Amino acid sequence: MTVPVPDSPAAHSALPPPGSDPEWYKRAVFYEVLVRGFADSNADGVGDLRGMIDKLDYLQWLGVDCLWLPPFFASPLRDGGYDVSDYTAVLPEFGNIEDFHEFLDEAHARGMRVIIDFVMNHTSDQHPWFQASRSDPEGPYGDFYVWADDDTGYADARIIFVDTESSNWTFDPVRKQYFWHRFFSHQPDLNFENPKVREAIIDALRFWLDLGIDGFRLDAVPYLFEEEGTNCENLPRTHEFLKEVRKVVDTNYPDVVLLCEANQWPADVVEYFGENGDECQMAFHFPVMPRLFMAVRREQRFPISEIMAQTPDIPDNCQWGVFLRNHDELTLEMVSDEERDYMWGEYAKDPRMKANIGIRRRLAPLLDNDVNTLELFNALLLSLPGSPVLYYGDEIGMGDNIWLGDRDGVRTPMQWTPDRNGGFSTADPQRMYLPLNADPVYGYQVTNVESQLRNTNSLLQWLRRMIQVRGQHPTFGLGSYAEIGSRNPTVLSFVREFGDDVVLCVNNLSRFPQPVELDLRRFEGYTPIELTGRVEFPQIGVLPYMLTLAGHGFYWFELSKPTEPVVEETEDWASATSSAVADSLLAAGVVSDTEETPTDESGGTR
Amino acid sequence: MTAEPRTALTDLFREWIPQQRWFGGKGREWAGVTEDGFFLDRGNPVLSVHRVRIEYTDGGRDTYLVPLSWRDQHAEELESALVGAVSNEGRETYAYDAMRDRESTAPWLIHLAQGSSIGPMRFSPADEGHIPEGLPGDIVSTEQSNTSLVYGQEAILKLFRRLEPGLNPDVEIHRALRATDNEHIAPLLGHVEIDDAAGGEPATVAMLQTFVPNASDGWRLATASVRDLYAEGDLHADEVGGDFAADSRRLGAATASVHADMAQVLPTEEAAHDWFATVARQMSERLDAAIEIVPQLAEYAEGLRAVYAAVAESDEQVVRQRVHGDLHLGQVLRTATGWIILDFEGEPARPLVDRRELDTPLRDVAGMLRSFDYAARHLLVEQPEDSQREYRAQEWAARNRAAFCAGYSEASGLDPCGESPLLRAFEADKAVYECVYEARNRPHWLMIPLQSLSRITDRD
Repeated sequence: MTVPVPDSPAAHSALPPPGSDPEWYKRAVFYEVLVRGFADSNADGVGDLRGMIDKLDYLQWLGVDCLWLPPFFASPLRDGGYDVSDYTAVLPEFGNIEDFHEFLDEAHARGMRVIIDFVMNHTSDQHPWFQASRSDPEGPYGDFYVWADDDTGYADARIIFVDTESSNWTFDPVRKQYFWHRFFSHQPDLNFENPKVREAIIDALRFWLDLGIDGFRLDAVPYLFEEEGTNCENLPRTHEFLKEVRKVVDTNYPDVVLLCEANQWPADVVEYFGENGDECQMAFHFPVMPRLFMAVRREQRFPISEIMAQTPDIPDNCQWGVFLRNHDELTLEMVSDEERDYMWGEYAKDPRMKANIGIRRRLAPLLDNDVNTLELFNALLLSLPGSPVLYYGDEIGMGDNIWLGDRDGVRTPMQWTPDRNGGFSTADPQRMYLPLNADPVYGYQVTNVESQLRNTNSLLQWLRRMIQVRGQHPTFGLGSYAEIGSRNPTVLSFVREFGDDVVLCVNNLSRFPQPVELDLRRFEGYTPIELTGRVEFPQIGVLPYMLTLAGHGFYWFELSKPTEPVVEETEDWASATSSAVADSLLAAGVVSDTEETPTDESGGTR
Repeated sequence: MTAEPRTALTDLFREWIPQQRWFGGKGREWAGVTEDGFFLDRGNPVLSVHRVRIEYTDGGRDTYLVPLSWRDQHAEELESALVGAVSNEGRETYAYDAMRDRESTAPWLIHLAQGSSIGPMRFSPADEGHIPEGLPGDIVSTEQSNTSLVYGQEAILKLFRRLEPGLNPDVEIHRALRATDNEHIAPLLGHVEIDDAAGGEPATVAMLQTFVPNASDGWRLATASVRDLYAEGDLHADEVGGDFAADSRRLGAATASVHADMAQVLPTEEAAHDWFATVARQMSERLDAAIEIVPQLAEYAEGLRAVYAAVAESDEQVVRQRVHGDLHLGQVLRTATGWIILDFEGEPARPLVDRRELDTPLRDVAGMLRSFDYAARHLLVEQPEDSQREYRAQEWAARNRAAFCAGYSEASGLDPCGESPLLRAFEADKAVYECVYEARNRPHWLMIPLQSLSRITDRD
């Protein structure tokens, strides 16, 4: 670790002063970008950090608040960089630490933050720690990994990559012992029981924090510790360690966010926020995503309503991360078997579209490139509780290439222009790390940033406008969520409320036009103002509020409070006269006088 | 003291009542009308409740319950709820339909919470559950024979318009089911009865239930699924995204669970041997009467009689129990967590004593199966003949009927849809009833039950 660490953060940062906005992540729009896939500055066919610097203006224009970079560390790249061979070095083809530092400063100068992936559960088998551990069991790294003489331990832990791995143990011919791995067999799990491992990991985190990064996405955190007789997920010791990491962050690095990747049910994921919000500030909400797809295919809101109803409250300083697609497959671990069969049937019609327990496709092809559905999905992403995480290329509706292996189909180069290599690189097309998508519909000649910049009705321009609208209403990030029922099962309506900032979202999950009558009595006297055009809709009264929606249409309304107080009933014939009304009814013989016995003492029904 | 014949108020009722949707005597000529009323609340506005006795020229008579709210000035916003004005010593007092006058809706819950008795009316809160007193109620616009008010997101009050002596089965069954904590019903919060002036059994006036928010009825869900299927070019019912079978299956399980709990807390009885013969004879009689009204039924008469005859000879073991009595997709609500079954009052047109009789759960299963047929076919009504859609409707109905039965049998251990002659006969009987209903009310829908009868009688 001889890399010099500059001691002052960027002088020209456009971010608020450190410590002044500790909960920025609750209002932010995130953008996941693969360094490898974004822009190639040195014509070697691989994207790099300098290339990304050139594209920061684009991301700023789009309205992104924070970039998330999956691993760009030194790695043999057998798992997209999630197999790290040096925690403090940049993969040479991406650049070096100086490049990263410059990238970070330039992002900050544009008011964008940067969080990076950190894989703490395991390393690559090429990591010097593992090499030392296997060759010198008695040496300083001998106990850095989980070794055993046989492969019978922790039998209750499930195998995650069922397509490729048959056991969580693999025999190492050098050390002549089995090592433990929850993912690929070339990714041995670190032994967190060993205090030296915990110390080494915290040192590595500090290295990046000292550079000025704004947070970590902590990969695969449920698996840090193992314990016999458990499924080796979400163990108390794992939480203890995460709390320790949080303390380090809070003490020395204000405004830094920890985003945990725990592909678990919301009720289990909340544990990663800590009882008092003293663990990770953010966690991904995995199950909501497959249910959005399911709800639209089923043309009914209940798949979403169900999962939202099952989502527990989280501590005040915490936030969900929500996404439609990311660099992994569309994971279907968080659905029932019946639902998984359904999703496979509907969204992965070709067997090659399946990967592990998921679907490897990008957003646009998943939705048959239907503009209305794409807009509806993005509108849901931007309006449901949590901070949205966009995936590079989905903003222009890029396609996937299911003929590429593993999850590479959704990791092809960003399509900037209709020119050679889609403007991604000037290298020989044959040198590309993955071929550009050349599909007649999704290929770079048709689908690219340049052409969508020119067209004000493009998906890209539309998404930018929606991000802007979202930014004007803090309630999208901070507000409560309450579903508004209606008899029409195909319409999902909800209110986001944060103080006076009240937004009503109405989504038609059906391909057909639909009417809906909403019970908005709570907002009687308010005026709905549609957010993209600021058109005022009729004032809300006592009667059900009637709206009609186009197929897959949606509305975002600001509910504007009545400027004048609602006029009180004119009580000029106050209660004194009402007995006069009663008397006159008696006198007219219309109503007879009856005894009122307010409580039936003898009845005892209560 | 009580209202005399031909007060101003009965004149108003003569005009107003026949126009109300809940009035079941449409088209019958009135021979006379009397009423008596009393105050439920003397606040502002005044709320009174009236029992209106109508005698028809055909000799029949009905008693309806009409709550009125009174104001000494006409309220513009209540124009559509105005019943009329009564004058006394030169002063006009305006009467409104109290169920549509939001300001006079609170007293119902206040009295329920207090367990009041007012005149002949008795308010009985249930032992548990919160009554949201103080909230105003809003009318539910879609009802037929009853009138309901929704209080916030918490409770729904159902007013039974036509008074009949005896406890309404809806109240009776919900009250009994409280003991079971069944998650597929909306818990009862209380009910209101009114004494019979002639000293007979009190009649049920209203019931208060927990409101089920954010729910959608099964009919809308099922028809959304059918619409999705019709919009596909070449996919089968099990291939389209809008497949409803998983929901149908859960609905079957929910129905089985409610049946099991009803059998536990309400009377049951082994069916005597002659019960089958009685049931078969009743169905045959209904068929004879129906053919008079719907001549097209004659074509299926022979087949239907054979279906009924199989019941008479049946040696099935049947335990009779209380059932829902009018189960169909419109009576079930899908919530974020599952299905809720509503409205246990049976077919409102039948006399109360009939509706409380023991029956078999197959009656409800048959009702739901018929409903799947309706959901599948209602989009074909008044459309040009389309054999492709015809085929798909059949496929959708078959798939969802099977899923409902599978869910029912998984939950109960009893497969209701095996080769039971009883179920088949109940379905046929229901379809015959539907034919009469459609012929009278929506002749262009008649094809739906007729086609089903063709299928039922064709099976052998």
